[in-house]
Amino acid sequence: MSAGTANHVDGRALSARLGRIVGSKNVEVRPSALIPYQTDATFGFSGVPLAVVRPGSTEEVAEVLRWASANHVPVVPRGAGTSLAAGAVPIHGGIVLAVTRMNAILSIDPVDLTATVQPGVTTQTLAQAVAAHNLHYPPDPGSQRVSTLGGNVATNAGGLHGLKYGNTAGYVLGVQAVLADGQVIRAGGQLVKDVAGYDLVHLLTGSEGTLAVLTELTLALRPAPATSTTGLAYFSDLESASDAVRGVIAAGVLPATLEFLDARCIGAVEGYAKLGLDTRAGALLLFGDDGSPAEVERTVAIMAQAMRDHGAASVQVATVVAESEALLAARRCALPALSRLGGATMLEDVGVPRSRLPELVRRIDEIAARHDVVIATFGHAGDGNAHPTGCFDPREERQRERVAAAFADVFAAAIELGGTITGEHGVGAAKLPFLAAQLGAPHTALLARIKHAFDPEGILNPGKLGS
Amino acid sequence: MTAPGVFDPADLGTCISCGFCLPACPTYKLTGDEASSPRGRIALMRAIDADEVNVFDVAAREQGSFCLGCRACEPVCPSGVPYGRLIEQLRDAQWTGRRRPWRILPLLAFATSRKLIRAAGLLRRHAKRTRAADSDPGDTLMLGCFERALFPAVSKAAVATIPGLRVPADQGCCGALHAHNGDIARGEELARQLGERPGRIVSTAGGCAAHLAAVIGRDRVVDYSEALLEHGAAAGEILVDGRRARIGLQDSCHLRNGLGVAGAPRAVIEAIGEYVEVPGAGDCCGAAGTYAILRRADSRRVLANKISELARLDLDFLVVVNPGCQRQMIGAVRRARLRTRVLHLAELVALVRQ
Repeated sequence: MSAGTANHVDGRALSARLGRIVGSKNVEVRPSALIPYQTDATFGFSGVPLAVVRPGSTEEVAEVLRWASANHVPVVPRGAGTSLAAGAVPIHGGIVLAVTRMNAILSIDPVDLTATVQPGVTTQTLAQAVAAHNLHYPPDPGSQRVSTLGGNVATNAGGLHGLKYGNTAGYVLGVQAVLADGQVIRAGGQLVKDVAGYDLVHLLTGSEGTLAVLTELTLALRPAPATSTTGLAYFSDLESASDAVRGVIAAGVLPATLEFLDARCIGAVEGYAKLGLDTRAGALLLFGDDGSPAEVERTVAIMAQAMRDHGAASVQVATVVAESEALLAARRCALPALSRLGGATMLEDVGVPRSRLPELVRRIDEIAARHDVVIATFGHAGDGNAHPTGCFDPREERQRERVAAAFADVFAAAIELGGTITGEHGVGAAKLPFLAAQLGAPHTALLARIKHAFDPEGILNPGKLGS
Repeated sequence: MTAPGVFDPADLGTCISCGFCLPACPTYKLTGDEASSPRGRIALMRAIDADEVNVFDVAAREQGSFCLGCRACEPVCPSGVPYGRLIEQLRDAQWTGRRRPWRILPLLAFATSRKLIRAAGLLRRHAKRTRAADSDPGDTLMLGCFERALFPAVSKAAVATIPGLRVPADQGCCGALHAHNGDIARGEELARQLGERPGRIVSTAGGCAAHLAAVIGRDRVVDYSEALLEHGAAAGEILVDGRRARIGLQDSCHLRNGLGVAGAPRAVIEAIGEYVEVPGAGDCCGAAGTYAILRRADSRRVLANKISELARLDLDFLVVVNPGCQRQMIGAVRRARLRTRVLHLAELVALVRQ
């Protein structure tokens, strides 16, 4: 009783204090209204925040952080809450700082080839806005329709075109960020070349909100490719599909798209998207390229031939752009579509050098069999980044434990093959316990010292990265 | 009351919280607050289900009422979450007894009484009843209860444009109004009563069609646009100042998201005039059944974007396929003083035949 009352009083005082900064309608402290902010898109992680604030400007972010620093209250930055590594979960409570209101595209510069945006702009909104200028913003995470650029930069998100275009980091030229004590800094800018100082732009990229709150981003653009084409190749199993990936690269092509799905994923995606995929196939490779029509025709022909040479049962090439886009859109739905198999999903994000991909796939199969769990695998075959996804009934505690145990083995296998525990989703709270196994103790100790230099009070997204 | 049992566990268990629904949700677009997104509401429903939040909690009631029920989140959901059913289940628990919004009580009372509906319809001279069916079941027109009173010309136009379409004498409400406003049992009962007649039921209201199909089966329900296309596209076109009329469409949310019908009304219009896709045609207009009455200010906020698009497009006709949308868009066009004429699809097709 007394605790409830105390919370209530605290809540009202907190609401009034934060309301003076961001406006009362942009603060929420009622516990039931905060429930959506307890979680993100990760299964099994939650934390109870004190409040959510939705600031509208850099100054408001700075003032919230000054207050939080002075009062030792954690602040957890949040975009659209689509993290798959519990990066946006307030595991130590505190204030959730949602950037959704800061959603303006500030400028698009067709000569400098840059766009400057606030962090709440969604990835697809920017991609469409620059497309109107015949420009291209390549990073396209699966959740691009939802995810914010602030979240993309904070997690160094990848996407379906990572092989040719890389992760988000390759496109971050400059940031404005608010430090834990409320000071505002700028790093980088509209420059392609700029070596003044430590490369803070790329330290903050992928820092998961633990070092500063990003309030403005300057992103690199490219001229839009004239056309793009996507094709499909079916294989008997995922291992032979992975083998064909080696064949494609060895043939001297760097495709824009090279995605794989195993039989379970094909079934789940087809169940939602109804594109007429062959659900009897053991695996599918989605391949494609963009560029000038002649170049695309040449590279896609080489890829198709490489698929056939490596045992593809059938190869089809989309004839119109809309068809290609439908294939890619369907592929982006693989994860949520997989929930059709059992209810809950736990997915991982391991990566290995491309040449080791067939071995990783084989080991994942062995691990799934050993732990008696259902693992469906899809991912970015071209860049060696796989998303093995455990599908289970969330009401069965034992199933859940077996999936968790299997993933510990998958991490170990990836590291042993010279790989990583996360290619593009980030470490978050979900993978922090496994980080030291990959990086080693001196490295993680250095992360902690960097964290301390930026945020001595430890208020920014505690429980993630350098903690 | 105890919270568990409010929701069908299978429906609630489908969501994996990926967030793909957020950008499709009109109330999330308005607020940027995840609490007013489908995923956020499902998180709240799960807390209610786990007895962590009371179903009558202030924030929970606010979200139950703020949702438009447009189901735009359903087609974009790869997991197949039946969100429309979940929000109906929430309202069924929240809008009981004296907690039912008083402003909809007269509407529900009206829609529950066949006598009142029939009297209102006859007074407003909707389509005339046809004689009792012979052995051939055929297609029969559903006379929507509010459409009869508000837009009686729609049923007349439907009968005039679909050959052989019969109009049974004794028709009540389909129950959509009840199901959407906290009374699932009565809503299903009324739909079943309507479904007792043989053959397919042709509907001119997306909201009714989706509800009816969910209860009596999709194969028993056909939208006006689909039925019309079965007889071939409309012959002839509408000219304005010697050119083909420029015609846009406002989708009905439940027709599009619930019944999955989006192409058919467009195909009908394309045959008649120059079809112009209104940006955001598939987004809710804010009518949302009783929403425009219960939450007038929010309804207008949802509508606001459409008005600037319509002003820019300067259409000859804006076509609607549901009476709620018709009422909402007629009001919007009048307030914005646009020259665009708002018509139901059946009325547009009837113009060609005149």
